[in-house]
Amino acid sequence: MQYRGAMQKMQAGKGPKKKNVMKRLMEKRAADSHVGIALVLLLLVVLQTLVLGFDYDSFGHWFNSWFRNWINILRNNAGVGIVSLGMTFVIITGGIDLAVGSTLVATGAVIMTLIDTGAKGVLGAAGMTGVPAYAITIVAALALGYLLGTGIGLLITRGRIAPFIATLGAMKVFRSVTQHFMQGYNPRVPRDFLQISNLQVGGLMFMPIVYWAVIALILYFVSKRTTFGRQVIAVGSNERAAQLSGVNVNRVKTRTYSLMGILVAIASVVQVARIGSMDYANAGSGMEMDAIAAAVVGGTSMAGGRGTILGTVLGMLIIAVMNNLLNLFGVPPFLREAFKGLIVVMAVLLQRKQRA
Amino acid sequence: MVLKDVSITIKGGEICALIGENGAGKSTLMNILGGVHPMDSGEILISGRKVKFTTPAQSLGAGIAFIHQELNLINDLPIFENMFIGRERKDKWGRLDRTRMYQETEDIFRRMNIDLDPNTMVRDLDASYKQIVEICRAIMMDASVIIMDEPTTSLTEPEIERVFQMMRTLKEQGVGIVFISHKLGEVMEICQRYLVLRDGELVAEGRVEDVTTDDLARCMVGHALEIRASARTRNLGREVLRLEDFTHAQDFRNISLSVREGEILGVTGLLGDGRSALFQTVFGADKSISGRMFLHGAPLRIHSTEQALKLGIGYLPRNRKENGIIKDMNVLENASIVAWPLFAKRGVIDQDRHLELFCCQRKELDITMQDVSDAINTLSGGNQQKVVLAKWLAANPKLLILDNPTQGVDVGAKEEIYAIILKLSEKGMAIVVLSSEAQEIIRLCDRALVMYHGEIQGEVAGAAMTEHDIMRLATGGVLDAV
Repeated sequence: MQYRGAMQKMQAGKGPKKKNVMKRLMEKRAADSHVGIALVLLLLVVLQTLVLGFDYDSFGHWFNSWFRNWINILRNNAGVGIVSLGMTFVIITGGIDLAVGSTLVATGAVIMTLIDTGAKGVLGAAGMTGVPAYAITIVAALALGYLLGTGIGLLITRGRIAPFIATLGAMKVFRSVTQHFMQGYNPRVPRDFLQISNLQVGGLMFMPIVYWAVIALILYFVSKRTTFGRQVIAVGSNERAAQLSGVNVNRVKTRTYSLMGILVAIASVVQVARIGSMDYANAGSGMEMDAIAAAVVGGTSMAGGRGTILGTVLGMLIIAVMNNLLNLFGVPPFLREAFKGLIVVMAVLLQRKQRA
Repeated sequence: MVLKDVSITIKGGEICALIGENGAGKSTLMNILGGVHPMDSGEILISGRKVKFTTPAQSLGAGIAFIHQELNLINDLPIFENMFIGRERKDKWGRLDRTRMYQETEDIFRRMNIDLDPNTMVRDLDASYKQIVEICRAIMMDASVIIMDEPTTSLTEPEIERVFQMMRTLKEQGVGIVFISHKLGEVMEICQRYLVLRDGELVAEGRVEDVTTDDLARCMVGHALEIRASARTRNLGREVLRLEDFTHAQDFRNISLSVREGEILGVTGLLGDGRSALFQTVFGADKSISGRMFLHGAPLRIHSTEQALKLGIGYLPRNRKENGIIKDMNVLENASIVAWPLFAKRGVIDQDRHLELFCCQRKELDITMQDVSDAINTLSGGNQQKVVLAKWLAANPKLLILDNPTQGVDVGAKEEIYAIILKLSEKGMAIVVLSSEAQEIIRLCDRALVMYHGEIQGEVAGAAMTEHDIMRLATGGVLDAV
């Protein structure tokens, strides 16, 4: 937890003993941060830099291309990155969400239908265009994501269905229904809407990265400082003790899935705005595994009770750099998945050793 | 040292009762016999031959079968396969010889006069038959001594009779049975001999026909110095909690009670009395009950622990490790989890306030620890318990239920916790103490309800509370009319 506020207050004039307590608190926080994962990431980045080749003579030029490569990596992973943040909360409570890819296409379909500039476009037909139409679309997408997520959450908590089964079912249902209703319909996304993801500043497209970073910051705060964030840890670590401490376990769990739904909807907006279309059969498939991998590599325990937002961001970055490296090394595409699998297993093995 | 110089003899063809208070050393003694724990000194002789075991398997091989309270049967296999778990009969090809296993099971059942189809799934058996199957398994392995650890606690009357019938059959066939029980009425009914353990020593033994349940209850408690009830001046206020006809299908029935401000109500009994389930229900942790509940005179239903917390009810659970502490969180978080939603501003935890509050509590409760950010399990048991207590005090409940508040706590810390409880009561908090230790109840409580198998067997109050009376009620007896 963060104690900075308290610390300033203590330092402002209270006894020296309390000051010591606060100091030690801060030290401990530094110690249990993610030094191991960060080191692995650093190693991979150095390796990547070496592979790309370091050019002493024209540093400016070299740095420019290195930087652009990084913007590309981050932008390509922003969607899964956002989803992996929500997955962290879900996994900490001891759950799992396999339905994220399908929720992505379901919300994507709603976005496309609303925003379509063609004859069938809902908002266009109502005479609504431009920013108000975009705002309505985004709100509608978030609302749908929230509803689908909450539905899954209630199925798990009230219906007492194992998270794996409930979300496996939802995964099949959401995608198949979406595909059914969207077949033979090719909406056109207005060009201005694409600015959400493709806005260029100084010749760089980095908006998805900004969204990812902002959401990560917000959720970092949520996980460390809010009742909900801490109750998630409590529920995951010892559900019975949490319940007997007055925590509404079912509500906490349901909310993690609701949050997951909203985050998937955001990822959906980012994705539709990036490419202006959506492949309902394939978009987001495998996304759940990438999100789980990021969380697990970042130190989240599948048994629940342990995991952090910072860890998941680092985990996502490791996977992203790894992908980039495999690309640079020219590893054949089919083999890349094997490496991804190996990283996840190795990360967990390493963490187990660290803890022992 | 849990056991001191205990010598016992179990004869074949006899049912021998082993009784004693919780913590008297019954389980330790039987665990030594069952090969679960090693002994420091002494020896075990079976039919005059010295034996030594270090594992349950060895003990079983020597002819001692231990029927645990939680049964070791596999629900999804039929009876006859359960009888041969781990030593399945196979034919020469290594395939399971189901016919042979079925027949051998049938033979045993016939010998024991049991009317059961060996093909029945264990899941479909009631608790008494499960017990019978387990006993048959022991017989099949030629057990000469069978230890039964409180076999009747979870059984209904007809089921108990069925198990007793089985025990009588075994007795006639020359098997020695050790019957561990808290129910003295049953001891009188089924046993020939009794052994009483107290504080790890064998304090009495003899023939059951020579004694009454009262004598046995007195033996269990001993003649140690009677603890005097605390002669404190009570300042009773208005009624806080009242239950009327509170009933839950299995765990408790027809419970009516009330607690007032400034009062410490004790609820005691022996294993399986249902008090924990009762008060977890009051706290909203379990549902499906009938009956009425009143808080400050107003009728209500509690659906969740969150609601109970907001209504000012606190519950310090038993079994700190499973129910009390959250091991992935530090000391401060464990101490403040209950109060988070109470102090939070728009969902954001008021860190400063919790830290300040805990600094005070740490002094007040005298919690010995290094640092509030240490993991909770770096603290000693007594200090962990104080942290769990602190988390409830932070919420400042009107009614505080303490379930075994001094479980796994050393003597010094125990006294400190008693002092805290008495102080809280003086401030007007209504307190319910659930405890299996009669001394604790007498020490702390103004009056106490004694439960026996889910019902209130009787009430003791004030200076008139004695361990004898409590033990008599807890074992199913009644008090003489005054």
